[in-house]
Amino acid sequence: MMRSNATAMTNAAAAAEPARAAGSAEKAETAAGAGATGLASKSAEAGMTGAAPSPARRGLPPRAKSALMQAGLFAAPFAAFGVFLLFYGVNPIDLYVSMFTSAFGNRYGFGEVLIKATPILLTGLAAALPARAGMINVGGEGQLAIGALLSTAAAVTMLQAAPAWFGIPAMLLAGALGGAIWAGITALLRVKGNMNETITSLLLNYVAFYTVGLFVHGPLKDPASFNWPFSPPISDALRLPVLNGSRLHAGIAIAVVLAAAVWWVLSRTRLGFRIRVLGANAFAAERAGFRVSRMQLLTLVAAGALAGIAGMIEIAGIEGRLRPTTGANYGYLGFLAAWMAWNHPLRLVATSFLLGMIAVAGNSLEMNSGLPSSSVHILMALVLIFLLAGGRIGRGRRA
Amino acid sequence: MIADILTGAVRSGTSVLFAVQGELVSERAGVINLGTEGAMLAGALAGFATTVWTGSPWLGALAGGTGGMLIALLHAFLVISRGANQLATGLTLMFLGMGLTAFFGRKFVSESIVGFNPTPIPLLSDIPFIGNVLFNHDPLTYVSFALVPLIWFALFRTRLGVIIRASGEREDALFASGMNPKLVRYGAVLAGGFLAGLGGAQLSIAYTHSWVENMTAGRGIVAVALVIFAAWKPLRAAVGAWLFGAAQALQLTVQQQGYPISPYFLFMAPYLITLIALLAVEFRKKSRMPEALGKVFTGSPGGAG
Repeated sequence: MMRSNATAMTNAAAAAEPARAAGSAEKAETAAGAGATGLASKSAEAGMTGAAPSPARRGLPPRAKSALMQAGLFAAPFAAFGVFLLFYGVNPIDLYVSMFTSAFGNRYGFGEVLIKATPILLTGLAAALPARAGMINVGGEGQLAIGALLSTAAAVTMLQAAPAWFGIPAMLLAGALGGAIWAGITALLRVKGNMNETITSLLLNYVAFYTVGLFVHGPLKDPASFNWPFSPPISDALRLPVLNGSRLHAGIAIAVVLAAAVWWVLSRTRLGFRIRVLGANAFAAERAGFRVSRMQLLTLVAAGALAGIAGMIEIAGIEGRLRPTTGANYGYLGFLAAWMAWNHPLRLVATSFLLGMIAVAGNSLEMNSGLPSSSVHILMALVLIFLLAGGRIGRGRRA
Repeated sequence: MIADILTGAVRSGTSVLFAVQGELVSERAGVINLGTEGAMLAGALAGFATTVWTGSPWLGALAGGTGGMLIALLHAFLVISRGANQLATGLTLMFLGMGLTAFFGRKFVSESIVGFNPTPIPLLSDIPFIGNVLFNHDPLTYVSFALVPLIWFALFRTRLGVIIRASGEREDALFASGMNPKLVRYGAVLAGGFLAGLGGAQLSIAYTHSWVENMTAGRGIVAVALVIFAAWKPLRAAVGAWLFGAAQALQLTVQQQGYPISPYFLFMAPYLITLIALLAVEFRKKSRMPEALGKVFTGSPGGAG
């Protein structure tokens, strides 16, 4: 032990070199970050002088100022990622332009953004709704997976001959049920076992992932698949209607309607008021005679159903069959979208759209510059890091 | 066969053990770090890459720890200095770790290394049964054996330990006695990140001898859960890590013996066992969370906090 310590010590000096190499990306980012904040503040100043209505008033009203700060926070990660790209010999301006045109230049690209935003919006709702009741659901990932599993199972075993008007709603219900069951486990553990829902929902994500694996390698495996792990395809009648000239399907409409519904329930109904009271002050809620356990159970199960519907939409809208990786990472992205939207269902529509846009950008990154599409995770993390770092700016009223 | 499973438990549990001890220190100081997953990935790649370049697994281990520490530094900055939401930050860093390692790790996928190999300890490894289970492992595993009592001693028998625990329990008391709780937390989170990175490096340079994209497969998250299962006690956390390892080893053994059980049941087993163990701990009401962590888990209804 002593000896190995000593070797480690003597090696430390030599290790500094490779450690620096390994950390160079990190350093590049911090450097870029510093540059970016500089840029952002400069543009903020330019904006202020440009927009200041009269010399008598100093600067901008606080609201506009905070809006500028927020704009800066959104711009900074792109600047930082740009520097990162420069290191790899890619012109960031060209790339951003092509990313932008691929997302907004034509119907197909825009459709792709909405396709990615749909599951993020739904799993975002699955995080936002319990958050308003004072609970943290990080289980959207697993709830989506089980929703996809159950809706596929229903589609290939019972609904193969069903007409669309019956089959699609039935599949939707099966998906919602799957997500609800999965969230129900978390809810029961919380209510009956007093276990923290953050940890249990997180662990259940892995159980869900392997449950899907179990089924696509076993009972749900397509006999005609030459040993590839996926389910048989669902019948064409069960596929969601698609907009001409794109892959965009009706799922986005379902998601937006559900977001509006969650908003309406939270802000316009007695139940929503109670949920918000519970979230704001659980003690007061209990004193007021709310059945707290039942409300927590209900909220989590409803959240699970929303995520489960996301799973169904992935199957009926995009994939057409269940794969082990169906919907991977959407649950976590949804959680982050909800956090960015301060758990507000309507704002969530915007943040899901933003994350969807970045996700699509990954494809054009790979096609146009030969960088692996996974590097878009870096850009996404940078966007979030800057938002996290600037968390207090411009949200004073709400916090 | 039992000896095989136990040996496997220690072998595959070691990476989690490092991470779980690191997370424990960090949580004792009042910071939960879901970014442990990202730190482990960073450690796994940094360790592997360094071992490829230098041929020295010890340098690799050190680089792995440093890699994990850099991710943890970001977590510490955002959470402690900028007051960001701990869970959202942790998840973000998990994505950062996945993105960065997928990006930089691409050319290491096909590389191979010698790395650490099991080196039996003379005499001790000759003890029947126990000798093979405990004393026929890679050097990092022996380090992990020493780490557990060390962490316990540091946390519960030294002044430093009192300070760390105070920053997780009674921040104001620490402040009143003239110390800076933020600084203590920084230290604890960085130490936690180093250990998580070391765990990741153990995975890539001692356990699998390879780099695969996203190779930690949720071990960092499991580490976070195990800390709670262990009621923030180092020895129990080690047992939890080995339990997780045992479930993995069981899965290999069952496959080798050709039992007709789907491997997917066994893949699930470690996570299910962790859940059941958590439930058992909860029912015995023996667990007490550091107070500062309670605030993280209650969350704020606006979600802004």
